[in-house]
Amino acid sequence: MLQLGRVVEMDSNAGAALGRTHRIGHLVKQILVHGFLIFASVLMLLPFVWMVLSALKLPFEIAARPVVWLPEVPQWSNFTRAWEMLDFGRLMLNSVIVTVLTSAGVIMISSLTGYALAKLDFPGKNVLFVVVLSLMMVPFFMLMVPVYVIINKLGWVNSLAGVIVPEIAPGFGIFLMRQFMMGLPDELLDAARIDGASEFRIFWQIAMPLSRAGLTALGVFACIYHWDNFLWPSLILISPETMTIPIGLHRLYQPNLFSMYNVFMAGSTLAILPMLIFFFIAQRHFIEGIAMTGIKE
Amino acid sequence: MKVKRGPLYWRQASAGLLFVTPAVILITVFVLGPLVFSFYISFFRWNMLQPLSRAKFVGIGNYVRVLTDETFKAAMWNTMRFSVGMVVLTLAVALLLALALNSKIYLRGLFRTIYFTPVVTSMVAVAIVWSYLYHPTYGLFNDILGRLGIKQMGFLTSTAQSLWSVMLVNVWKRAGYYMVIFLAGLQTVPAQLYEAARVDGANSWQMFRKITVPMLRPTVLLCVVVATIEALQVFTPVFVMTKGGPADSSLVAVLHMYDTAFSYMQMGRAASMTFILFVLIFIVTMIQVRLMQKGGVEAY
Repeated sequence: MLQLGRVVEMDSNAGAALGRTHRIGHLVKQILVHGFLIFASVLMLLPFVWMVLSALKLPFEIAARPVVWLPEVPQWSNFTRAWEMLDFGRLMLNSVIVTVLTSAGVIMISSLTGYALAKLDFPGKNVLFVVVLSLMMVPFFMLMVPVYVIINKLGWVNSLAGVIVPEIAPGFGIFLMRQFMMGLPDELLDAARIDGASEFRIFWQIAMPLSRAGLTALGVFACIYHWDNFLWPSLILISPETMTIPIGLHRLYQPNLFSMYNVFMAGSTLAILPMLIFFFIAQRHFIEGIAMTGIKE
Repeated sequence: MKVKRGPLYWRQASAGLLFVTPAVILITVFVLGPLVFSFYISFFRWNMLQPLSRAKFVGIGNYVRVLTDETFKAAMWNTMRFSVGMVVLTLAVALLLALALNSKIYLRGLFRTIYFTPVVTSMVAVAIVWSYLYHPTYGLFNDILGRLGIKQMGFLTSTAQSLWSVMLVNVWKRAGYYMVIFLAGLQTVPAQLYEAARVDGANSWQMFRKITVPMLRPTVLLCVVVATIEALQVFTPVFVMTKGGPADSSLVAVLHMYDTAFSYMQMGRAASMTFILFVLIFIVTMIQVRLMQKGGVEAY
């Protein structure tokens, strides 16, 4: 596994031998690097700061020129207005349902298929693996029109199923789990076989627990993606009761209604918060998971 | 486990077949079938409201019309410029951040968290926030430019700037993602290499050129390919911030397909566009992989 916390030790040993000039050079370098890091942090955080401050302003403060940074009296009611106009509780529920069910489906299908491709021998295995590899090259937009026609035929337009079901057999997930499960020791699986365990039990009680890191990576990836997915859900979820957060927020937003920008900013803050909180709690898993998806072995 | 086709083999094989059945069904119904169907309707004029049997066969008419259409050409040109700009800028920023963080840094974890935060936010929400920042009269950016004595910009409302303004939002949102992957790549460089180089009297720049760059090359290849595919498919920020305007100046390929299929109901023509764009993405990816291989990167 990757150890992201580890820092490559570049300056520790050799530094002492080189004496004072080196130390001053080192100090200057540290100041420059930190200056750059702080500057970058300001740029990264500025939109969030502006969003939250604006969410607390009155309409005339939103349109003030020169700009007003801090609101005279923080308008917390903007958040209740945004919550009600968005019907945020409902949006949140739909988003959670879509994200959890899709991610769970992706994890289940990917690990089952990935395990079979990595560790079991069956007719048509190589063909299936080639199909999975080619799936990774099919961009979503190629499926947008025909899958919409199918979902329409199935009567799934305006239902969460229409968003969830087409998304749960991704080539990427199957490939990732196959690569991961290739690394599991065969002896362990064979030993279980000799002890008379069924193939499903071997998968479920031996392969799955040993693949926790890979499953976490895939889960994080799927959660980030499906929580924020916009294009496909926007085609399927057309009535307010079925909408997820991004779709509902987009419906509320009217670019030309400038007096409402404080409410739009409050709505945006609400939309960002759940995933942000989740990220701060499970930060290590997020970062390690993303790092892992970038490493092909 | 490889075994001969006896009872033991069939025990495994039946389990294997059972395990892959759900995936095979889903892939057939929601990927392979639709691809064939899409290719089929790309030869018809069809609006989806009428039954497919009533659709008019037009041969390669859709392809000819799309390839000669000025709007489609503009969308393709915009998509290419957007992608080149986004890949170069995003990866440059990501690499700079990763390199700066890849040493003994005070509050390293905090900085990494800050840069990664935009990745986990909602694209629709940040697109709305940036629309306000970009607002020509009331936006923060023009206010700052005014204080610095620089002339006011149109940003999203200017035909010259709209595409780049949207691109900048994407760079801001995605740089942290690639930074994490670069950091992971940097961590795989063995520390002994640097130590050996230091013993031989190499300076920081030489070590960067001769150790970091070559060791990081496979990670960069992967990121270039992934970021290019991502950029060529951009949709959400454009859809929220400009709807492709003003005057199609920020119209990108996927948005044009979306309009063609779901606003103008020309399913056949939209399907033909997807195949044209796919061929383009395929060629670009192949060229990238070739170039990198020539540059000494092993095939991925």
